[in-house]
Amino acid sequence: MVNIQPYGTPEYFALIILFLLPIIIGLFNGRRFVNYETLFSLVFLVLTFGGSKWQQGVALIGYVIFEVITVGVYARYRAKQNNTAPFVWAVIIAIIPLVIVKVTPAIEGGKQSLIGFLGISYLTFKSVQMIMEMRDGSIKEFHPLAFIRFILFFPTISSGPIDRYRRFHKDYVQIPDKDRYLKMVDKAVFYIFQGFLYKFVLGYLFGKLLLPIVAHQAMLQRSAFFHTGLSLPLLGYMYTYSMYLFFDFAGYSLFAVAISYLMGIETPMNFNKPFASHNIKDFWNRWHMTLSFWFRDFIFMRFTFFIMKHRWIKNRIRVSQLAYLVNFLVMGFWHGVTWFYIVYGLFHAAAMIINDIWLRFKKKHKGIPHNRFTEGFAIFLTFNVICFSFLIFSGFLNTLWFK
Amino acid sequence: MNLKKGLWKILGPVIAAFVLVLAVLFFPQGFGNVSSKTEQRAAVSLSNNIFKGNKIKSQAIRHGYVPFIGSSELARMDPMHPSSLAMKYHRGYKPFLLGKPGTQSIVHFFAMQGMMSELRNRKLVFVVSPQWFTKQGQMPEAFDYYYSPLETIDWVIHANNTVANRYAAKRLLTMPSASSSAVMKSAVTNIAAGKPITKSQRFYLGMEEKLLGNEDGLFSRFVSGHRLDMIKNDQKQLPDKYNKSKLYQISSRLAAKDTDNNRFNIKNSFYNLRLRGRTVKNLKGAEASFNYTKSPEYSDLELMLNQFNRYHINVLFVIPPVNQKWAKYTGLSQKMYEKTDRKIVYQLHQQGFYHIADLTNDGGKKYFMEDTIHLGWNGWLKVDDSVDPFLTKKQAPYHYHIDNRFFSKKWQMSTKY
Repeated sequence: MVNIQPYGTPEYFALIILFLLPIIIGLFNGRRFVNYETLFSLVFLVLTFGGSKWQQGVALIGYVIFEVITVGVYARYRAKQNNTAPFVWAVIIAIIPLVIVKVTPAIEGGKQSLIGFLGISYLTFKSVQMIMEMRDGSIKEFHPLAFIRFILFFPTISSGPIDRYRRFHKDYVQIPDKDRYLKMVDKAVFYIFQGFLYKFVLGYLFGKLLLPIVAHQAMLQRSAFFHTGLSLPLLGYMYTYSMYLFFDFAGYSLFAVAISYLMGIETPMNFNKPFASHNIKDFWNRWHMTLSFWFRDFIFMRFTFFIMKHRWIKNRIRVSQLAYLVNFLVMGFWHGVTWFYIVYGLFHAAAMIINDIWLRFKKKHKGIPHNRFTEGFAIFLTFNVICFSFLIFSGFLNTLWFK
Repeated sequence: MNLKKGLWKILGPVIAAFVLVLAVLFFPQGFGNVSSKTEQRAAVSLSNNIFKGNKIKSQAIRHGYVPFIGSSELARMDPMHPSSLAMKYHRGYKPFLLGKPGTQSIVHFFAMQGMMSELRNRKLVFVVSPQWFTKQGQMPEAFDYYYSPLETIDWVIHANNTVANRYAAKRLLTMPSASSSAVMKSAVTNIAAGKPITKSQRFYLGMEEKLLGNEDGLFSRFVSGHRLDMIKNDQKQLPDKYNKSKLYQISSRLAAKDTDNNRFNIKNSFYNLRLRGRTVKNLKGAEASFNYTKSPEYSDLELMLNQFNRYHINVLFVIPPVNQKWAKYTGLSQKMYEKTDRKIVYQLHQQGFYHIADLTNDGGKKYFMEDTIHLGWNGWLKVDDSVDPFLTKKQAPYHYHIDNRFFSKKWQMSTKY
């Protein structure tokens, strides 16, 4: 039995375009072939989670059933009542599988959990989002099939972008007219080729060709600078890894968005020139956007409202600082329970807090110059702060210091 | 927007791109010869692209370059390095360096496939390090790193059913690279079982070979001249006329200046980078249990000998020593090292390979080694004593007689020789 990883090889693209043709022709004629699309999604899910990865496939099926029941039960409850405790429980139950999957390697010495599968995080984000929006009353009805279609939407299943249910559902039901769809196809073709450039040319250049070289050089300098390993090659590793991370992930995201477009779904973009950010807050509005917006809406904002409602902390500045800390710590833990992911979270929380302090300071002191040069400096500084955070994120320091 | 026109606008460039890419990749093209400047750069570049590719290696050998096959020692480029001496004194040969840290016999066996026919009845130099002959032999990670799909496909397509090929196939199947493509894996499995490869395997691998060959033709010419510049710069320190005693003087002077921060006569920069501090303390006595006398490497080496025989290549083997001071410190047994050397030499002599520069007893000579296990300065000059006459003088006729017992597990583990 074959197993194909999403967007990995030219064969995958040939296969997916071939199978998509009927859907594309259908959409041009204003029709969505629901049955064919379901079958098609199934085939690609089996290709991704079948063969040598069949355990993941089983885990995926179990997970989907579990989430449908969790969200479904909460939906039925919410139709009648709206108390806090059941809501909190629904969220906790919905994230339990993800928590198990993330914690297992940390306590079992790197062993992966049996209930894990590629993309469990992204499915969980979507499930939690459903519960939260039901709580708010912005999602009123629950259709198990529509929910399954949403969380299993295969172009984005492995690593996002994270869509929102209402947006997705609207696109699914409302077929774009011919002109609009043509424009979407046009964009899709462009994104696919941009993705090729990003992932297979630049990502390959930085990740496969350059990264091993700088990694090797940096390892040779382990004893440099009083045995801290701080060296020029390490700096080289930092920049090379940052470029690799961006081009690889942005390339992948472009593929996911492009295939969504071909299926008539306008999945939101994930990146918007992140390295041109003027400050760290700006960065999080441009980098892995669907994730950071999810965190903003469902962790940062919720947490802020919660604190303000209960008046635990009066000072608004303190509230937002605490909220940043919680927000990025959760993000750190979500990446994985290792010291470097957690430090990565703390680092970004600190950067956001410092950034806020600076912006307030700047507002108060009107004399601080603002021109092309200060903007250039801001971009340069932000870029380096980001790259340093990616060096932490890469886990290379762990290898350099402790292995 | 008109639908048809709109679609053409979107898909036209895509179709054109595909047609162009397929044409470039699958139609055999020569992409011409590379310039002699590129050959010169490639010969000392130690670049992976050159090593894994075929075009430039083969062309350079056709144009008279001599392969110097080995591993990490080739990168020890001081002014006495073989490439430097050959260039400075306009010797009748030009070394083409093949090998980097971790390239052992089995890596070379596959990587050389495409250029073998160019080497028929020619000469080459092969530096065989006793350090290769560990219990595991070739490290799979290193094999992966140096694995050349292009050269390996060349072997698969032409592999007859012989003991050597069956052995090579079995070895290849123990490496992760063999499983990188399903077709490759099943074809190699066939060879290992003594069966011919199927028509469809041949067709598929043939297509892949064309594609990889075109890639090689397009990209391997972009090779860094960094090491060539280094060598050219180094030569300024050599006397204009070849003079052995003067060379030893200069060599010892350079070495003395460059090894004065440690008691092992190890190059300062190497010592600072790799050993200083905790590392060197941890290594005291750490190699006492090292044993190179039992290893699959002996049979991997036999694969190379088998190739030398098939193409009737005259080979000078160089067996380097270890830095004696360092060996004493780490507890590496000189007795074991000599036994290893005897076993290698036995395997060579038994089959008619008599050109051996056996330096295993020279590890204690001053400035012979650049660091722990790598030749440098005076060591290179000693190598030159064998290399120069071997390559520039006419050699007596030679005849090999390959013995397949050296492919056996029994020989790998044997202590009788």
